[in-house]
Formats: sequence, structure tokens, C-alpha cells
Amino acid sequence: MRSTMRVRVARVLGAGALVAALLLPAAAPVAAQDEHILRVGTTQDLDSMNPWQTALVVGFEVFTLNYDLLVNFGSNLEPVPGFAESWSQSEDGLTWTFKMREGMLWSDGEPATAEDARWTFQFVLDGINSEDGFIGLGYLDYYVGDAGVTAVEAPDATTLVVTTDRPNDQILRTYVPILPKHVWEDVTLAAVADFQNTPTVVGSGPYQAVEWQTGQFIRFAKNPNYWKDAGGAEEVIIQIFSSADTMVQALRTGQLDYAHGVNADQFDALATEAGIVTVEGSANGFTEFGFNTYGTGTGNTIPDGGPSTPALLDAAFRDAVGYAIDKELLVDRVLGGYGTVGSTQVPPFQTQYHVEPTTPRTFDLELARSKLDAAGYALDSNGTRLDKEGNPLNLRLFMPDSESTYPAAAQFIQDWLGELGIGVSTEVFDSQTLTDIMLPPEAGDYTADYDLFIWGWGGDVDPNSLLSIFGCEQIGSTSDSQYCNPAYDTLFEEQNVATSTEERRAIIAEMQNIFYDDAPYHVLFYDSTLAAYRTDRFEGWTNQPTEDGAPLFGYGSTGYTLLTTVGAEPSPDASETAAPSGAPATAAPEPSADAGTTSGISPALLAGIVLAVIAVVAVLLVRRRRTPVGEEE
Amino acid sequence: MTAPTLSAGQLRGQRLRLRIRSWREFAGRFAKRREGLVGALIITFFVVLAIAPQLIVGPLETATTATGDRLRAPTGVHVLGTDELGRDVLNLTVHGTRVSMIIGALATVVTLFIGVLIGIVSGFTGGIVDSILMRFTDFFLVLPTFVLALILAPILREIIGTQSAIFGIRVTLYVIVVVIGLTSWASTARIVRAQTLSIKERAFVDRARVIGAGSWHIMRHHILPNTLGLIVANTVLIFAGAILTETSLSFIGLGDPFQPSWGQLLDAARSAGAPGLGAWWYFLPPGICIVLVVLAFTLVGGALDDVLNPRLRARR
Amino acid sequence: MGSGYLGRRLFQALLTIVMIVLLNFILFRMMPGSPERAALRIPGVSQEVFENTRARLGLDKPVFPDQLVAYITSTAQGDLGYSYKYRGQPVAEVIGQRVWPTLILFGLGEIVAIVVGLTLGAYSGWRRGGAIDYVGNGLSLILYSMPYFLLGMILLVIFAVGLGWFPVSGMFTLGQSYPSFADQLFDFGTHLALPLATVSLGLIGQYSILMRSSVIETLGEDYVTTARAKGISETRVMTRHAVPNAMLPTVSLIAINLGYLIAGAITAEVVFNWPGLGTLTVDALTSRDYPVLQGVFLFLSISVVLANLAADAVYGVLDPRVKG
Repeated sequence: MRSTMRVRVARVLGAGALVAALLLPAAAPVAAQDEHILRVGTTQDLDSMNPWQTALVVGFEVFTLNYDLLVNFGSNLEPVPGFAESWSQSEDGLTWTFKMREGMLWSDGEPATAEDARWTFQFVLDGINSEDGFIGLGYLDYYVGDAGVTAVEAPDATTLVVTTDRPNDQILRTYVPILPKHVWEDVTLAAVADFQNTPTVVGSGPYQAVEWQTGQFIRFAKNPNYWKDAGGAEEVIIQIFSSADTMVQALRTGQLDYAHGVNADQFDALATEAGIVTVEGSANGFTEFGFNTYGTGTGNTIPDGGPSTPALLDAAFRDAVGYAIDKELLVDRVLGGYGTVGSTQVPPFQTQYHVEPTTPRTFDLELARSKLDAAGYALDSNGTRLDKEGNPLNLRLFMPDSESTYPAAAQFIQDWLGELGIGVSTEVFDSQTLTDIMLPPEAGDYTADYDLFIWGWGGDVDPNSLLSIFGCEQIGSTSDSQYCNPAYDTLFEEQNVATSTEERRAIIAEMQNIFYDDAPYHVLFYDSTLAAYRTDRFEGWTNQPTEDGAPLFGYGSTGYTLLTTVGAEPSPDASETAAPSGAPATAAPEPSADAGTTSGISPALLAGIVLAVIAVVAVLLVRRRRTPVGEEE
Repeated sequence: MTAPTLSAGQLRGQRLRLRIRSWREFAGRFAKRREGLVGALIITFFVVLAIAPQLIVGPLETATTATGDRLRAPTGVHVLGTDELGRDVLNLTVHGTRVSMIIGALATVVTLFIGVLIGIVSGFTGGIVDSILMRFTDFFLVLPTFVLALILAPILREIIGTQSAIFGIRVTLYVIVVVIGLTSWASTARIVRAQTLSIKERAFVDRARVIGAGSWHIMRHHILPNTLGLIVANTVLIFAGAILTETSLSFIGLGDPFQPSWGQLLDAARSAGAPGLGAWWYFLPPGICIVLVVLAFTLVGGALDDVLNPRLRARR
Repeated sequence: MGSGYLGRRLFQALLTIVMIVLLNFILFRMMPGSPERAALRIPGVSQEVFENTRARLGLDKPVFPDQLVAYITSTAQGDLGYSYKYRGQPVAEVIGQRVWPTLILFGLGEIVAIVVGLTLGAYSGWRRGGAIDYVGNGLSLILYSMPYFLLGMILLVIFAVGLGWFPVSGMFTLGQSYPSFADQLFDFGTHLALPLATVSLGLIGQYSILMRSSVIETLGEDYVTTARAKGISETRVMTRHAVPNAMLPTVSLIAINLGYLIAGAITAEVVFNWPGLGTLTVDALTSRDYPVLQGVFLFLSISVVLANLAADAVYGVLDPRVKG
């Protein structure tokens, strides 16, 4: 009797073992990696393959791999050849002439000429001149607008002539991908948002996307027609992780070559690991503690929204509050030391333009109190600070849920403002909801119903984008402080048309001081970008900028092209290759997914799994059928 | 049954005595269930923690009042180490007890309210109302309620608005409470309805009806008290489920960093990279607490079920 | 009666699906923020663009009946609308990429859990108080009380990070080229092992508890006592009477609980970055991509209803009372 039961148990176990055999290889080592695949990890999920429709850092990274910029960024952010191999500015500074390479090809083998560049720039100009004034999400067109471009022409296949309305060199920092006209010319401005640009992408950059699994990875194949022989990796895979923890583990176990965006503690732990290099990239951006100053400079009010007290519109109030923020402590405690104390809206990363304010604030709660008293914000008998109308100051501090540093900083700020007698209630929202809460009526049916916020910005190589956030006309668009100061706007225009760097630098310095003194934001810190990479498969990791940047997720695709596989000959340096590299004459086939490397579930695999499941079920059913028979004895 | 000569006061006294006697009997029977007793002890322990966390570990540590270094292993001062802001993990875990237990309790109340109401009305009224309500209940029974909860959360958040706390509990947590309540009442409704159906047929309900008692009166005064035993056993299991659901919701980002529950602590531990950094002291304490509490409630639930509903045990 | 039973079940399932579609329609209209703005995701567009988007989404028409009819028609055709986050990609496509990983993980998890859980539960119930019951039941209770993601985190730390036996995340070694199909299956297997272990261990806890109490209950039934009195062997009592009878309520409970159990698979997927519907759901929640969130809900709900229907059919075949 017992034995029959045993047999049956054994059969059940056998069925289980079948599943196990399928799934549990004995002590599986981490699969050997293909040496020519560069795997890059990030925690940000790509939103769109269409360059006009992405608002994310990873989206910019993806499109600069797909497409060359007209002029690329070198290791020190200097202009280096991109789609154009050389360029010159006319005597009067109003005309730029770009030279393309002879015989350059798109990744699909079609000729890549000045006409493609002309079409792209004209598309942007059309967008700027349209009723909406922008293309797609509107993140790229202003580069062309700020450069003062008025016309583009392509007199021949290798020449692009760009006319500007004033002498300036911002055209060299235009972050606009040059698109293949033969793919894009049917895409109208109105329909650009619907164009998915599904892989395989046709581009002129070093790698083109051949597969995108949303939320998982984007796989790129090396461009066989790239104008120079660069980049040791045959494939690049940008893998998206739902948490930095998993990403770091993947890096440590060799499933990843580069991890972008690890946290301070992970960074410290990785720094001690052999074969892994950690880089602290100085940030071209900041985290701010901002005020809702809606009505400043305009006198507008919002019936059911806006700031809860006029005190927020008072620069003296904001200034006094600034003395109650210990930024050094924040950098130390919130960032674990990986960042620098914040001051102005132009980060120190912009070495040419950043200045420290002439009258900096110190952390001094007593001084903050006396400044508030002096500005007319008195304490009542309960120790609560009152605004000038006699209402107690109870402010709402909102932040998005995207960074764990925000709630941490908020706890400090809540305490410090509490010391001044100002009540602060904190609330976390998802980014989309918070955007809706913070938008003013200028953007539609919104009410800008908030007081204080913590959020962050990232900048460009050019300081324009970070300077522009505080312009009056940005209210209802990028402005989240609703700050408006005509004097600031005038200076913004002046710096944009400044003819020399010195002149521009002086104006931007003045703008930084206005910003700092008026304090629509207190910039809390410039948080570093923390990254880590392995050195066992690829070498030639080059920081951008070399002094204090990180190898990837910078500006342009240079970092990828400088990599070589370990042991291979280094590729020619980017800055040195100005000569056209006799492009391959053969019309190379478009890079596509070869059957062996499909990363999704293949039908064969699916069939295998289904068969295995059927087998298990069959075993079970047979067992069931036979049970009564086996029992007869 | 009772002699009509008894005054109202006497009647009340009589009832009280009956209750005490049955309570003693109940306690005696419950005490025989060893695992139930163990569960009750664990629950008592956590209830004490939840009532007076500040007496045990002082006020909740914030980023500002943190006393330790970043992510340090346990020492004599910080018995369970510190988190990435230098806060004491023991302090956070003990305060998390209160948050988790309050969410669990409130969610249980909401669940019971909806479930019992629908169950009794459905069972008592019968007919078309019953059919509709039960179709609705079955519908909720099969739905992937967790995903539904995720959809409901933003809607509720919008309805409740942007104020930050009500009665010292943050709005985000109320959202979790209501979401759990709205998505987990169906099995309670089913059980209560079944019980109602059987009580409805008993003599005293008929008698009440003959006297002229209204439906609501009968439901409140006759049916509800008689389903209590069942509801109590069910409550305990709902509580365990609510704690688990809260944990999962917080873990995927619906928690509140300013009033951390155990689930929120696990989420924080993961985003701080604690598992990979080997910082076991950060995620194991809240994790063990969750397991212990859910386990304890399940044990007590099983024991209560046996003690209060002996008939159910014989035949499900 | 057999066909009548199934017919009634089929009708109920259809009714449920209709209710799910209606619920989804109502919920979408309750979502915070205006859908046209969310679809655009840029403030400050011109009124014309705004109106165009409204018209494109059909929001310029009255909610009832136009929008409802349009919604039902398009849903019936498999058109679930467009993702906010992925800038207008069709929701059906986004979900389509993620269905198989979840189906495999959850499906295999269920099979393993049913086999192991029911066996363990039946044995524990039979040898009540024995060593296996003591350990098995204790373990089951602990597994039952543990959130899946916590179990996953623990397995991840031990087996992937600590011992390095398994990869930490994903479904394949990305970009790997496989010399043979077996290698691909092997690679898939190593990635699947830990998430599968998480899901099935979690389920085993519940199933073995269910089965155990069900077996104990049936062992107390009159016919079992009678059978025993007749001198039928214990083994035979178990296999011929107790287990089959205990199986029915357990299996139906498992079917009913499917919708509830998916929660566990969702959080387990997140821990291992498993590219299924779970990670998709959480991503959609984080970025408030309501169309995707609702698409997942619709898909999962209908799947659960259909799975229940299938379970009912099997039940009808197995249970003599239903068949009779």
C-alpha cells in the first residue's frame, strides 16, 4: 500500500521535475556576454523614438545615437564634425556655410546630402512660424529660434547656407537631429505627433535603433555607413530598469557595462569594486525650492487659485526665507555629499557663464527672523508668523514623486520654516498631476493652486534654456515660479544678441544676480550625476567634459564612438577626423534584427513552453486516470 | 421567550449577564486553541507598539532629527541600524506599526461596512434586489481588484483634493484606505448574505415582522447581531488582507514618505538600494513585522472561526 | 443539465465582461485631468490644436450615447485607445508586447503551485500533526503571510546577488545570439527561475492551506467514516474519497481567487524587472498613463473571467453532481 502511494508521489515529483528541468539549469553561471555588445542601463523609460516627441534625457540620448547633429559636441563640449564636416562664418557674422561630406550615406544606403539638413532646418522654421510656434513637444525648435536663424539653403549637395538675424555662434550648439528627408518629408507639422518612427530607424548617427520593447530596452545596430570608423560596439542596448537597485546588481554581475543614475550609497559601494569605475559627473542642472509668485510684474490674480498669500509675491519675504536654508547641510545629508551648494540658475558646469552672487545669503535663522520682522511679517502671540493682511502664514509645499531627495529636503525646509513661525504642509504628487496643479490660467483651464515646490531642471550646453524659464512669456509654459520681471526679460534679449562672449557673460552675470536677489527660486543644490561602468569589455571611456563629466548621457554621441573593445585597436579620435572617410560605396543592407538575436519571445520558444506545459498536464491527467486502476488489488 | 414582566433595565442586565457568560465561555474555548493564543499575543504586542510608539522609541525621526550616519549597520545606539538619511530603523519600524495598523483598521471598517450592508440587504430583501446585488458582488469577486485599486487611487486623490492631513492622518493614506475598502468587500457580502438567508427563516424574525417591525429595524436589531460571530471572524481575515494590500500599494509608489508605513519603508529601502547593498537591517524589520502581523491575524482568524462558528466547521 | 449549466455560466461570463467594459468607460471619464490635455502633454497649445485633439479622441460628442457607443465599438475591435506616456502608441500594441511574459510566469507559477501546493496540503491534512504537516503548514502560513515582493527581494539577494546563480533581471540576456534553440531556452530558464519561484512559492502557501483544511474536512465526513469502518485501507480512503472530494472546492476557490492573486504576480515582476503586464501596470501608474492602466485592467479582467469559465467547464466534467 505504502509503496503505491510512494510511486504516485514520485510521479507527481517527476512532473515537477520536468518543469524544473526546463527552468532550473544546474548552478547557471551568468550567461557569457557577447563582447561586442555595449549594454547601458538607465532607470528612465523612453517615451518616444520620434525626436520631436520626447521630453526625457533618455529620449535625447536615443535620438543622438540615431541621428547626427549638424555639429556634434566633443569631449569638452567643443564643436566637432557631425552631419557637417566643416563650417565657416561670413565676415559680417550673419551667414554660416556648412560643408557636408561627399558620398555620405544614410544607414539605409540612400545618399545623405545638404538637402536633408536644409529640409530639417526648414521644418523647424516652419514650426516656429506656425500658429503654435513649435514642433511636437516644443523641446527642440527654440535652439534654432535662439540662434536667430532666418533662412536655410542648400545650393548644392554638400553645401548648406544658414542666414541669421545677428552675428552669433549658437548655431553650433543647436540640438536638432538632421533627419533623412526621404523618410520624413511626408510627415506634416500637424501630424508630427502621430509619427512613431518605429524601428528600424534610418539615420546618420553611429548607431540606429533596430528594436524597441517599451519599458524594457532599445537595441541599436552599428551604422554600416557611418562617416567614420568609430565605436567598438557592434550593438548598443539601452536597458530600462524599474529600480536603480536592480540596475546596480546587473552592473556588478556583468550583465551591464554602464549604469546611469545610481544613488549615493550605491556609488560608494561600487567605488570599492574591482573592475568597476565610478564617475561623479558635475551637473548641468539643479534642484530648486521655488515660490509661486503669480501676479508679480503683471498684477494678475486667479479667482480660485494662485498663491495663498501675497507674501509669496514679495521679494523681501522670499529673501528672508533664504537665510533659513542650510544648503551645505542639505548637500551633506540629502545628497550624501555628491553635489554642490546651489546659488544661481546657471550651474557651475557652465564655467564660462556661472557667477557666484555678489550678496550671498548665509544660514542664519536669527537674521531670517529679523529680516521678516523688518519686512512687515510679524509674529502673533502664538508664535505664528502673519502676512501683511494679518493672516497666519501656512504654506503648501508640493513636490513630484520622481526623486527621493525631494521629500528628504522638504523635511528640512519644513523644520527651518517652522523655526520662523511659518507653517508648511508637504504633499507629494506624480509629475503629471503636479504639472496640472501648477499651470496657470495662461495655459488653459488651470489655476496654479500652490505655494511652494521642490523640483529640478537640467540644462543645455548653452545657458539659454535655464535662463529662459524666468521670462514673463514662459508663464503658462515652462515657468513654474510664475515669475515676471521686465528688466530680466530685456537682459535675456540682450544676451541673446550679444556679439561677443565677454559681453554675453557680463549680461548673464547680471541676470544671475537679479535672479538670486529676487529669489523666485532658492537653488538648493547642483546634484551630481552618478554613473559607474565596467572596464572588462570596453575601454576608451571618456568623460564629457573630460574634467568633471561622465562618459555617456552627456551631449551628442561622442562618448559611444570613442569606445573600443578591450584589446582592440583604438579608433581614431573624434576631434582629429575632419577628413571624409571615403564612405563605403556598397549600398549596405539596413541593420536589422538577425534571427538569432531576437530579444522578444520567439514563436519557437513559445511553442517549446506550451509543449512542456502540455506534457506536464498530460502526465497529471494520466496519473489521475490510472489512479483507480492502480488501486484495484 | 423572556418573561414579559421584566422591566427594560432588568432586561438589559439580563442580556449583559448573558453576554458575559458567553464571553467567558468564548474565552475559555479560544484559549484552548494554541495557535490562536499565540496570534493574539503577537497582535497585542503590535497594538501596544501602535498605541504608544513615541513612548518606546521617541517621536518619529525625520530627515532633520535623524541621529545617525547614512545606512549604517546595527550598533548599540541604533539597534536596527539606520536608513539612507541616517534615521533609526527601529524608530521608523515602530512608528510604521501605527501607520500600518491604522490603515489596516480603517480599511477593515470600510470593507465591513460595504460588505455587511450589501450582504444583509441582499439576503433579507431577496428577489430582484438580491439578484442585482449578488451579480454585482460576483463581479467584484472575480475582478483583478489590485489593478482596479491602482485605477481608483488617482480618482480618489482628485476627489479628496490637495489638503495634506485630516485628523493627523495624511490624505494619501486615506486614499489607500478607501481604495482597499472599495475593492475587497465582495467576499464579506457573500458570507453575510448566506448567513442572513438562514437567519431570515428563523422564528424570531417572523415574530418581529408580525409585530410590525420595519425592514431596517429587523435588519439592524435582529439580523445584524446574529451575523456578528461570522463578521468578527471575517474581520480578522480582512485585516490581514488589508495589511498585505496596503504593503503592496505602498511598495509600488502609492505610499507617503512623510508618514511611512511598513510597505512604504520597504519601498524606500528598495529605492535606496538596500537589498543590493546588503543593508538587511533596513528591509528585514518592516518585512518581518508584516509577516508576523498577517500571520497572527490569520491564526486568530482560524481559531475564531472554529470557536464562533462551530457549525460552519462541520459543513462549509 | 450539463449544457444548461455551461450555458448559464457562459451567459454570466458575457454579462460580467459587459459590466467590465462599462466600468472601464465610467472610470476613464472620472480620471483627473482632461484627457485631451493629457494626450497632448504640453500646456499652452492653441485652441485649434486643442479642439482637433478633442475631436480626434471623440470627446466633442455627448458622453451618452455617442461616446459610449464609440467606446464599445472600438473596444470590441481590440482598439483600446492610445498611450499617453508612449506618445500615442496604440495601447493594444503596448499591452501586446507584455502579455506573453506574464502569461508564462503566472501560468507556470499556477501549475507548479497547484501541483506542489495541493500535494503538500493533501499530505499535511492526511497526516495531520505529523512532521510534514507541522513543517509544511508552518511554512505555508509564513509564505501566505509574506508579500510576494518581499519574498522576491529575499530570493534576489540570496540567489542572484549573493550566490550569483541567476541573473538579476529581465527575461533574456539582451543582444545575446544563441547557437541553438536549447541555449535560448536555457537562457530564458535562468531568467525565469527566480520570478517563477517567487510566484509559485507564494501561491503554494495559499493552496496548501486550502487543500489541507479541505482534506481535514472531508476526512470528517460520514462517508469517510463509513468507508473506514468497512475496513478500506487508509491510502485508498485518501485517494478515492478524501482527495477527489477535497479537490473540488479547492479548485473552484483557486479559480475565483485568480483575480486577487494577480496582485502578487504584479509585485513579483517589479522586483525582477520581468517585462510583463505587472511592470507595465506599475510604469503606467507612475506616469499616470490611464489608457494603458485601463487596458491592462480590461485585459486581465476578461482573462480572469474566461479562466473562470474554463474552470467551471472542468468542474462540470469532474463533479458528478454538476454533470448529473
